[in-house]
Amino acid sequence: MLRRILSVMSRDFKSGIRDFMVVYILIAPFLLAFILRALIPSVSSTTINIAVLETMDQDMISYLESYSYVETFSNRDQIIDRIGKTDDIYGLIRTDTGYEVINQGNEAGEGIELIKYIVNARGNETTQLPVIVKVSDIGWQLSPLKQYGANFLIVFGSVFGSMIILLSIVEEKMSNTLSAINVAPIAKFEFVIGKGLLGFIIPVIGTIGTLIILGFTQINFGMTILTVLCISLISVVIGFSIGVVSTEPIGAIAGMKMIFLPIMASVFGGIFLADKWQFLLYWSPFYWAFRSIDSIILQTANWNGILLNSFFIIILTSFVFFLLKNRIKHGLN
Amino acid sequence: MITVKNLYHSYTKDDRYAVKNVTFEIEKGEVFGFLGPSGAGKSTTQGILTGLLQLQQGEVNVVGYDMRKPSREMFNKIGVSFEQSNVYNKLSALENLEFYKKLFDVPTLDPMFLLKIAGLDHVANKKTSEFSKGMKHRLTFVRSMLNNPEAWFLDEPTTGLDPAIASQIKDIIKEKNQAGTTVFLSTHNMYVADELCHRVAFIIDGEIKLVDSPRNLKLQYGEKLVGVEYKLGDELKKESFSLIDEMDRLKLNDIINNGNIELMHTKEATLEEIFIKVTGRGLQYNETSI
Ligand SMILES: Nc1ncnc2c1ncn2[C@@H]1O[C@H](COP(=O)(O)OP(=O)(O)OP(=O)(O)O)[C@@H](O)[C@H]1O
Ligand SMILES: [Mg+2]
Repeated sequence: MLRRILSVMSRDFKSGIRDFMVVYILIAPFLLAFILRALIPSVSSTTINIAVLETMDQDMISYLESYSYVETFSNRDQIIDRIGKTDDIYGLIRTDTGYEVINQGNEAGEGIELIKYIVNARGNETTQLPVIVKVSDIGWQLSPLKQYGANFLIVFGSVFGSMIILLSIVEEKMSNTLSAINVAPIAKFEFVIGKGLLGFIIPVIGTIGTLIILGFTQINFGMTILTVLCISLISVVIGFSIGVVSTEPIGAIAGMKMIFLPIMASVFGGIFLADKWQFLLYWSPFYWAFRSIDSIILQTANWNGILLNSFFIIILTSFVFFLLKNRIKHGLN
Repeated sequence: MITVKNLYHSYTKDDRYAVKNVTFEIEKGEVFGFLGPSGAGKSTTQGILTGLLQLQQGEVNVVGYDMRKPSREMFNKIGVSFEQSNVYNKLSALENLEFYKKLFDVPTLDPMFLLKIAGLDHVANKKTSEFSKGMKHRLTFVRSMLNNPEAWFLDEPTTGLDPAIASQIKDIIKEKNQAGTTVFLSTHNMYVADELCHRVAFIIDGEIKLVDSPRNLKLQYGEKLVGVEYKLGDELKKESFSLIDEMDRLKLNDIINNGNIELMHTKEATLEEIFIKVTGRGLQYNETSI
């Protein structure tokens, strides 16, 4: 059974990579992620920026200046405001026992470790005691473009897999190879699963690629993959249902456009609608996926919330599936 | 091996039947031909026998499986070649066979060996989108042999092929049959039916008019057929007349009495002539399809 399912999948893949349209769809998410990354302002200097109080002793400031760029502020609140801006800067405040490093959580690389190291090295010059460095997080704040851009790419990317399914079904219909499949000892469900698999694998790979390209390496990938699998399900169902009634690829892709509208509506509605109007989007599985991905990116997600959203997605997808089931079954004969 | 009882099929699900009250039985090891003109219902019957079309009315049993509930395993035992070739265009000939091969649970033949049989071994790695119609047809044909089927369904296996290749295909069918394969063959070509089939069914407008062996048919009709070449004015005419048909006898009498006969001989009827006698219509096969 597994052998037949995998045969169908690998045949589709083999056939797909010989089709420029499919290849384009495969690389599109990565391309879009790179474009998005280029649009996001980011400070990629190798120096570390540190915000300190004016009251810090001058020796320490000069010491820090030899390793980093230092800005001084008159009180703690100003430091926190400064850190809240989008570039990477850490706060360093003297405490009774040592130093406190304040960070925002979205800083790149090993900044904190480096600051701890710098401070410790200095501390060890005068005292033999290790200096205690306490790290406190003032909360993750992302540039909205990055936060929502990534989300949009992920939700939208779920369609790419089903486009490939769509094209492979159209290919089978055009060459009437479906009849040959129907007289081979492969069960319909094996064929459907084999064809459908790419619709899940491709969005998962695309999503992981997108997140890595955009630098979201700290998020919970388990939750992400679950959400992407759920949202792919609805794309796959729609992909099949359009595929079986299409007779040529361009028309099929055009038919797929009807799924773009609910996706756009769900994501942009999710971003811009006031909380009290959000219920207008509850019908859309893409909306629940948007919510899940948003919390995952903000690292506020928990399994209960993600599972609940996934449950909504599956329930809504089941409705769509039962509406389209006969059409799909019929079309595959 | 195959039994069909009172089979009816309507594409429109009303009383416009493409196949009407069809009954026949095929023994193990037999080559059974469906001979009939275009639109007679040959492909429809094959479609039902291979599970591509749902059985609507009647009883069909193929290699021990009831076609009311066709099971996946049945397809390990049958092979189906299509009227119109259907292969994956973006895959090579070899890849096409290798993919299909993986779908079976039973031992299969070597794809390269099959390509050799089909005369396609030199283009094994070429994408089939670059194939001619005949090449695709041969690939479809050998694909149906992959699992060494017990029952082999061939819809117009030689149509559209040049005579040399058609004759190779016929040889393969004979060889397979000698090795024990039961064959259900649809054709509108009387030579193919005559040469390959142990028994033929004449089918027209969805109905079987007669089932017998080509030999019996010729014995029954052939000895009573007279070929005449005669002059009618300046024109030389060739006609065959049956000696059992009342109208034919009167016509022949007429020609003999008018005395313009150039040549006259008894002859063996072709299956087509017999078909015309039995059904009142020709097979209307076109000249390019041998
Ligand atoms: N998919 C279909 N939908 C509706 N009617 C059909 C369909 N396929 C065939 N028919 C009709 O059923 C009848 C039998 O067709 P069938 O294809 O079985 O004939 P055939 O004997 O195979 O002819 P040919 O020699 O041209 O292949 C014809 O009248 C045809 O118009
Ligand atoms: Mg036909």
